[in-house]
Amino acid sequence: MTIISAPAGSGKTSLLRAWADRPGQSHRLAVVQVQRDQQDAQQFWLALLDAVRQASGTASRAEPPAATPDFNGQAMVDRVLSELADHRGRVILVIDDLHELNSPEALTQLTRLLTNLPPHMHAVLATRRDLRLRLHQLRLAGELAEIRAADLRFTERETRELLAASGIALSQAGAALLHQRTEGWAAGLRLAAISLADHPDPERFVAEFSGSNRTVAEYMIAEMLDCQPGDVHDLLLRTCLLDRVNGELADLLTGGSGSERILLGLEDANAFVVSLDPERTWFRYHHLFADLLRLELRRTLPEEVPALHRRAADWLIQHGQVVDAVRHTQAAGDWPEAARLLADHSFSLTLDGQAQTIQALVRAFPPGEDHPELALVRAGDDLVQGRLDEAAAHLAVAETYAETAPPDRRRRLRVAIASLKLSLARRRGHLASVVEQAKFLASPVTGRSDEDIALYSDLRAVALMNLGIIEAWSLGLPDAERHLQEGAVLAREIGRPYLEVGCLAQLGFASKIHPFAITQRRCREAIALADRYGWGAEPIVAPALMTLAGTMVWTGEFDEGELWLRRTAHALQTDSGPGIRLLVHIVSGMLEAGRGRHHEALEEFSAAEHLRSQLEGSHALASQVTGWMLATQARLGRPGEARAALAAVDDERAGSGEIRNARAVICLAEGDPAGALAAVQDVLDGTAPVIGYVTVVEAHLLAGLAHRELGDLRAANQAAERALALAEPDRLVLPFAMTGSRELLEALPRHETAHAALLTDILDVLHGASLTAKDQSSWPQTEELSPSELRVLRFLPTNLSRPEIASELSVSVNTVNTHIRNIYAKLQARDRSSAVQRARELRLLSAGLTR
Amino acid sequence: MQNHLGALNHGFMDPAPALYTIRINGHLGTTMLSAFPAMASQRQGAQTVLTGLLDRSALYGVLAEIEALGLDLVEVRQEPKEA
Repeated sequence: MTIISAPAGSGKTSLLRAWADRPGQSHRLAVVQVQRDQQDAQQFWLALLDAVRQASGTASRAEPPAATPDFNGQAMVDRVLSELADHRGRVILVIDDLHELNSPEALTQLTRLLTNLPPHMHAVLATRRDLRLRLHQLRLAGELAEIRAADLRFTERETRELLAASGIALSQAGAALLHQRTEGWAAGLRLAAISLADHPDPERFVAEFSGSNRTVAEYMIAEMLDCQPGDVHDLLLRTCLLDRVNGELADLLTGGSGSERILLGLEDANAFVVSLDPERTWFRYHHLFADLLRLELRRTLPEEVPALHRRAADWLIQHGQVVDAVRHTQAAGDWPEAARLLADHSFSLTLDGQAQTIQALVRAFPPGEDHPELALVRAGDDLVQGRLDEAAAHLAVAETYAETAPPDRRRRLRVAIASLKLSLARRRGHLASVVEQAKFLASPVTGRSDEDIALYSDLRAVALMNLGIIEAWSLGLPDAERHLQEGAVLAREIGRPYLEVGCLAQLGFASKIHPFAITQRRCREAIALADRYGWGAEPIVAPALMTLAGTMVWTGEFDEGELWLRRTAHALQTDSGPGIRLLVHIVSGMLEAGRGRHHEALEEFSAAEHLRSQLEGSHALASQVTGWMLATQARLGRPGEARAALAAVDDERAGSGEIRNARAVICLAEGDPAGALAAVQDVLDGTAPVIGYVTVVEAHLLAGLAHRELGDLRAANQAAERALALAEPDRLVLPFAMTGSRELLEALPRHETAHAALLTDILDVLHGASLTAKDQSSWPQTEELSPSELRVLRFLPTNLSRPEIASELSVSVNTVNTHIRNIYAKLQARDRSSAVQRARELRLLSAGLTR
Repeated sequence: MQNHLGALNHGFMDPAPALYTIRINGHLGTTMLSAFPAMASQRQGAQTVLTGLLDRSALYGVLAEIEALGLDLVEVRQEPKEA
């Protein structure tokens, strides 16, 4: 690693550029130019990731890195490191103007990146001052090279070479004098070279400069401006306030034309103006140069400065560069206007992942210039940071202000306030009260300006997402699915992939009524889209990860379910509302219970129950959480405790199927099978409300266990068979494991069940296996089995002989033999047991999932 | 940068402004001086001495300005408080 640490104008950037452009290099460069006063960690890291991807040639492979409102610095560093690790060749990471990075968070992350760089990587950092990067280890290991001001200083010979290269004829003595006066300072020599190039008497110029006591920078900038033609002089002064400038903007600020030509000329002629893009349309001034010009502008044209800022702000807002427009409006001293601009755009900026930039802009308002509009901005920021009480307080201020605002303004503010309230309610899990508000937001807007429509589209997409989430999580309404689908479509239309991922990720959870196959497909789609944008480990996609984990646990694929569960926990590191954390505990509890670890399961269910009791509103899975907690207590031999807690359950939930099932488990633990049968009666006859059909499967199994206790084996077998029949389409395994139904199932004669394949799978799990759900595509190509072959295949795991199978299917034994031969060939199996094994791996044995 | 602030005065933060003199190599003209509106300037030999009543953040603002303008900083001194 190399650090170039030297004052302004020492020639750091020029050194980097010359070094990067030198011929005959085999490595690739990733160059990051830190923006002036960069306080937004995410903007810095996105620029860095983009540069690395450009350099390693992976940029075209996926979507460009996009900002998210839930920036996770840790995950970002991992992403950059994995991009670098994937690249075989040598990559050199160059970060210029690193002193402009005013984000302690970003610097900490950068230290982690730098100390973990792969061996084929080299990093070069340029900065005006030594940074607080913790690089002692690198230094001690001799891995750190430093270039400092003394190394960059021009020698006398180099000074002569610079002058010669600029076509300046100066005597040896004159060059020595110039070198001595500038002390070899690169910026001073470069500025001198500009003035000397057209000077009639270079020797006199150097003599006068040498005789002056003025600072090199001030003397040289004045001389340089003096020797420029009027229009160039004018352009430099009037555009120096901008961080970047193009011809059109420069024309606007100078009131002239032909600015682009002047800018191109300046770039060709000196080192202080550089183009930012290969087409050379945008330019920036060297920071020291711009700072000196700004002083000169303020001294010579002070009355024009606010007007220049205003004109720049107007142009920038028209061209969608909101952040810069707000900065210039602030610089013009138009604080109320700046506050309005920021309030209008803070919502979209948050979606753009610029939350930290918004914070910096809010901080820039002086204490005396605070404005009620900023309350709205602060409320949005509070929500991003999870400070819900502060958000509510700021929203109250904004609401009071909105009442007094002019009518057109009032409408806008109300829409924004309503949207933030909805987000707040969602985060708090406090829901029903805001659904009306959400409906008003979710309705399409007509007859407004383009800007309004864009703003309202953002608001609408977010409102649809929040509405769908509330409906799905809290109220369990079927509308959820429709609203989330609408939200996803709108988000795609308006180019907000983050919201699209958000809506899709919730769809899996919202679509409880669909077969698991559809739910899983939706989850995988959401995850794939998130991965494309690099958001695979972000909170936004957590609901999809979670739901996918859940379906796998339901179907007995415990090992893979655990992997997805871990990925969910990783994604929830930065942000986790109580609703989703509750779900993580439920699925974790399901997993433990499925593996027969009831103590661990009880811990998870109790944690979920605790979160549920903290929620202000209801949770769609509330009765499930409580029911499983009570049932697990009872299974652990603590029915007394469970019964006491059961007595405390409120009447509404006490009537639910989930709580009735819990009551049955408690009765069984108390040795009261008749009581258990009575408890599940309403679940079995369909009169008790249930969250899903899985509750009914569970009830059948509990009834079966009770019949078994009572010695009625026939009724026990019937109950088990009903449970299997219900479980078949989704291939549910978990309820059998949770209820401890192994003996019940083992007592069921194989030839009496129509679900032999599922039964075998379930018994495998109950004996401690985890089913593997391999994607069929990941296996060697298998020729598809015909429907009649599939019908025969399903009998292979049973004890039925070939003639018995033939009689079951009402075909001849020869036909069965042919089918079995074909099955062996297609599955590349040698015998019946290997065919069954292979068929199980390929998930061909269940009636529900075959295609 | 805030973490540096405490270190200077043995970890003790003095919120009251103090009189500082800041010495810079070379003469500052009107353009350069306009960057330091809160400071009085005086030429001493080939150097410029800026004097002003500054609190901590103002002091670091001035130092940042000196850095940004590529000026050659020679000395920063807090004058003892008048009795």
